[in-house]
Amino acid sequence: MMARIKVLDPTANRSDDNASPGPDAGVLAGKRIGFRLDQIWRCWDLISENWAEKFRDAGAEVSFWRSTNRSGEEGEEQARSLDAWLKTIDVAVVGLANCGSCTGWTIRDAIAAANAGVATTAIATKNFEEFAHELAARGGRSGLRVHVLPYPLNELSREEVEPVAEAYFAGALEVMGASLSAQEKAA
Amino acid sequence: MSIHLIKPSNRKSTTPKTLVSRDCGPAGCEVDWLTSRRLDTEDSIEAFTDFSLEQGWGDGLPLIPPTDARVRLFLSENDRYPDELIARMPDSSECTVEKIVINAVMAGAPADSLELIIAAIEAITEPDFELYGVNATTAPVYPGFIVNGPIRDALKIPYSYGCAGGVATKANAIGRAIRLIMRNVAGQVAGVTTQTTFGSPGRLGGLIMGEWEEKSPWAPLAERHAGIKGNAVTAFSTIGTMNILDTTSSGALAFLEMIGKSVSYAGANCFSPAMEFSEMTIGINPICAEIIARELPTIEDVQEVLWKYAAVPADWFQRLHLNQLEAQGRIREDGKIYATPEPKDVILFVCGGLGGLHALGLHSFGSSLAQTKEIATAAPAHEVQAAE
Repeated sequence: MMARIKVLDPTANRSDDNASPGPDAGVLAGKRIGFRLDQIWRCWDLISENWAEKFRDAGAEVSFWRSTNRSGEEGEEQARSLDAWLKTIDVAVVGLANCGSCTGWTIRDAIAAANAGVATTAIATKNFEEFAHELAARGGRSGLRVHVLPYPLNELSREEVEPVAEAYFAGALEVMGASLSAQEKAA
Repeated sequence: MSIHLIKPSNRKSTTPKTLVSRDCGPAGCEVDWLTSRRLDTEDSIEAFTDFSLEQGWGDGLPLIPPTDARVRLFLSENDRYPDELIARMPDSSECTVEKIVINAVMAGAPADSLELIIAAIEAITEPDFELYGVNATTAPVYPGFIVNGPIRDALKIPYSYGCAGGVATKANAIGRAIRLIMRNVAGQVAGVTTQTTFGSPGRLGGLIMGEWEEKSPWAPLAERHAGIKGNAVTAFSTIGTMNILDTTSSGALAFLEMIGKSVSYAGANCFSPAMEFSEMTIGINPICAEIIARELPTIEDVQEVLWKYAAVPADWFQRLHLNQLEAQGRIREDGKIYATPEPKDVILFVCGGLGGLHALGLHSFGSSLAQTKEIATAAPAHEVQAAE
């Protein structure tokens, strides 16, 4: 029979976690809604434009913050800019998790928003849904809200993306815990 | 023109010190002060390797079981306390000396490589290295390391023939140790926490090489990059090694033209609209370096010439690409897109065998910026303890 030994665990994981999804976005009329964009995914530019119009029609104020490079002096400025922007919004819609590093930064920024007390939903495409949840958990916010869009998406034309924006809007509201107006919420 | 130039930030990674009494010195007391969980397994390389794969610790190659005795012995040959926090990984997990040593033992790395490994980890966890993106991306990127100073010979870090891989020294185990730390502490597991589409052989054994600074006509890389003389390591992100063959050129400008044009292809990360800026690391062999330096004695001039050739015409790109590149101001007045924002962002070092003919292209992931760290000199723990 082979002898037994004790070996030391080489892994490290953060032990803390916040499993709460954070506050519902609630009634959006009168709220300040912020979209986090990036420089890669034009499909997310198109969808956020579509959704922003619906939010404005419902009486919300909409702003956009675009993520660029996160290293060097520009990265430092990005970190400052993000913090400042988060102070100006009540609801964050953070995208787009549609690749590896961009999912990483989407989730990182979404966690920053959620940790700042902003009602936050990250937006991922189907192929990156599981990854988004994994990174949220590793980032200490396993309960982060993630709304999932179909994949592939960025390869589609504007005419093809518009119907996706329409089709997935109601689902976005549901994940956000939001309604456009008090009447809708009551209904 | 609104090209974003690369300027290092002032952000520093925060690594607060932790814990306890140092009364027992770095070698530890009779009491247990290694805090890692212990797991029971069979006492053989084969059994432990299987066990490590079941636990998600392994890389598929045979591993040495990290027993208390082996970890303590490794520590005793250095003067680091196991609870010392070296860095926080992208998910805020803590990379302590203890975790580094456990992984180094598993990889078979020599005890005297600890300070090099620590410096490497410190380098890649600097905010400007952007490990958050490097870890998660679909790209096959991994950190590569260039070592300067006498420690190259002490640890047999290759810088001559075969320096980018295949030389039989324990440098391979050092590279593997860093890779295991990336897996087990930084959590870089394909399909789980990294979405790398293809991965890379470099994600197994890593890439760690020296600069043949004695053959370089210019100052050592660490000195040029960070003002550090002596033992130092420069971490850079790379999506792989690329060979550039030139058996025909005879002068500095001709060699640099070939190198610059060869590293420039439309699908390289540095030309992607997804990355506004990028560095480029290039190894020049000693024979070419000597030829180049005869005409261009200053490294800045070499970088400028190379940079001018490391560009592609904008009309190589399709309209959707151009829309984004134009928005970033990356199309210059000459109608070209350059691999890096400025000549300084082409990082050059001298390495390789004396046969000449080849250069080594090491494309960057993109926004990850090379970081250079000094390597501390270790004193054996028993000496430190005696001194205390």
